Amino acid sequence: MAQVLSIEKLTKNYGKIKAVNQLSLEVEEGSVFGLLGPNGSGKTTTLGVILDVIKKTSGNYTWFGKASSSETRKKIGAILEVPAFYPYLSARRNLRIIAKIKQKGEDRIDNVLAQVGLIDRADDPFRTYSLGMKQRLAVGASLLSDPPVMILDEPTNGLDPQGIAEIRKLILQIAEQGKTILMASHILDEVQKVCTHFAVLKKGSKIYSGSVEEALNAGKSIEIAARDMKQLRTVIREFRHLHQMNEEKDVIVLHLNGHADAHDLNAYLIEQGIVLNHLAIRKGNLEQKFLKILAEANDQTP
Amino acid sequence: MIRLLEIEWLKLKNYKVFWILIIMYFLGLILILSSGMFLMQFLKSKGAEFQGIDPTILPLYDFPDVWQNMTYIATFFKIILAFIVIISVTNEISYRTMRQNVIEGMSKWEFLNSKLLLIIGLATVATFFIFLEGLVTGMIYSTVRYPGFIFSDLEFLAAYFLEVITFLSFALLLSVLLKKAGFVIVLIFMYALIFEPFLTINMIHNPWINEYTSWIAPYLPVRALNNLIRVPFQKYIFMEIQDYIAWKDVLIVLCWLLIFQVSIYRLLNKRDI
Repeated sequence: MAQVLSIEKLTKNYGKIKAVNQLSLEVEEGSVFGLLGPNGSGKTTTLGVILDVIKKTSGNYTWFGKASSSETRKKIGAILEVPAFYPYLSARRNLRIIAKIKQKGEDRIDNVLAQVGLIDRADDPFRTYSLGMKQRLAVGASLLSDPPVMILDEPTNGLDPQGIAEIRKLILQIAEQGKTILMASHILDEVQKVCTHFAVLKKGSKIYSGSVEEALNAGKSIEIAARDMKQLRTVIREFRHLHQMNEEKDVIVLHLNGHADAHDLNAYLIEQGIVLNHLAIRKGNLEQKFLKILAEANDQTP
Repeated sequence: MIRLLEIEWLKLKNYKVFWILIIMYFLGLILILSSGMFLMQFLKSKGAEFQGIDPTILPLYDFPDVWQNMTYIATFFKIILAFIVIISVTNEISYRTMRQNVIEGMSKWEFLNSKLLLIIGLATVATFFIFLEGLVTGMIYSTVRYPGFIFSDLEFLAAYFLEVITFLSFALLLSVLLKKAGFVIVLIFMYALIFEPFLTINMIHNPWINEYTSWIAPYLPVRALNNLIRVPFQKYIFMEIQDYIAWKDVLIVLCWLLIFQVSIYRLLNKRDI
């Protein structure tokens, strides 16, 4: 797959503070990439630099294999921090300005406004919009030129649960169309729900990157129970794929080695003549993984 | 270029403040430029006379004197046009739309050019308007109406155009530098009305330094702009005036224009936006 964005040893200093420190990243075409990290970890600064509004201190980045320019930026739909529009102009007029900047026709304006559910308010001034509507307009604006790449910076920040659900649905719809999305967030649940890949930043440095699925699988466990728990316990100790075993109230929680899964476990137990009355797969979640990554990073840099 | 002009027009055409300032500018100019003769009548009724001359017979609107008289008066109104530039640019900064414009795919250079087109547009409309106003009032009051007189001394209009462009570029520079409209407006007034005039007085008349500094004074920006179109009215009391545009004055102003433009570009280019 082609690289849409490639960042190499990017550094941005504000005086003595290293906002971004030697950051390298690759974003593949068609992936939904989550940039995770606590507040102040350099997510927005990174996005600002690759969008050419913040000057880098050193390092390099390319878009579509080319040096960044106003031409490559026209192929990116992006929101950085808060939605930025002319408050005295209506949504439709704001989008006309963007269409002119991107040198695209205005024929998609109604389309996009309908997609983000603002068509009924399209002729009201932007300043009369609620926060959720402003955020939706920003997503709509970034869709306007039907760009292959989208950058979303905390797209659900400050929204109510319904607004968050709407924006997420929208992002998933967009991702389904095969667009590449780079999203910054500090909400783990959000990244887990929409992203395919993620990287974790801390104090401007990358401390982890990988696929979301792998991270979730790594934390996967299986819980089992049978009528005769004592027998189950003895038998399971002999299972050759067993990595770790914990007892919880009424169930045994197993972590398996390598590629072994519930199927292998169940087959083994049937062989041993054990009938389970409970078998469930516990998916890991990104929160555990994230906290673990941060804790490990803390150990390395006391 | 057309695209940038269109973008700027989309930003302004539905902005009330813009239209209020434009209307203030034109109404103000019409009011002042067309009431010269009524002012003279008022002065006469108060018993004023200039070196024994009845003020109402002063040929304020005679071709071609009308051009210097009008452009000179109009220069006081350029501050309203500067407000338009200041508000337009500081809005873009505080709404973060300048940043968003760049993100969408404008270069900083294009953004700057779009604001320069706004300045050139305002200066063109203003200059053309003064030409029309001069033509109309001149046709009403002037005692001479030969085309040769009507269309001579039009270089005052060109000088006015240059003065507006340079002053608005100064306003643009301050706006990019200071980012806050109120701050810029206060500063531009303070500078033009207090700082530079008093600095000039010191440079010329302060006995400790004037030997070294008096030559600098005419090169300061506000002074240079004021020197472009000189005060015309003393001629009506038989004093000598400069009734032409001097190339040296034009050159100094052009230098300032260049300095302002280069500074704006460098400032924008260097800074995170």
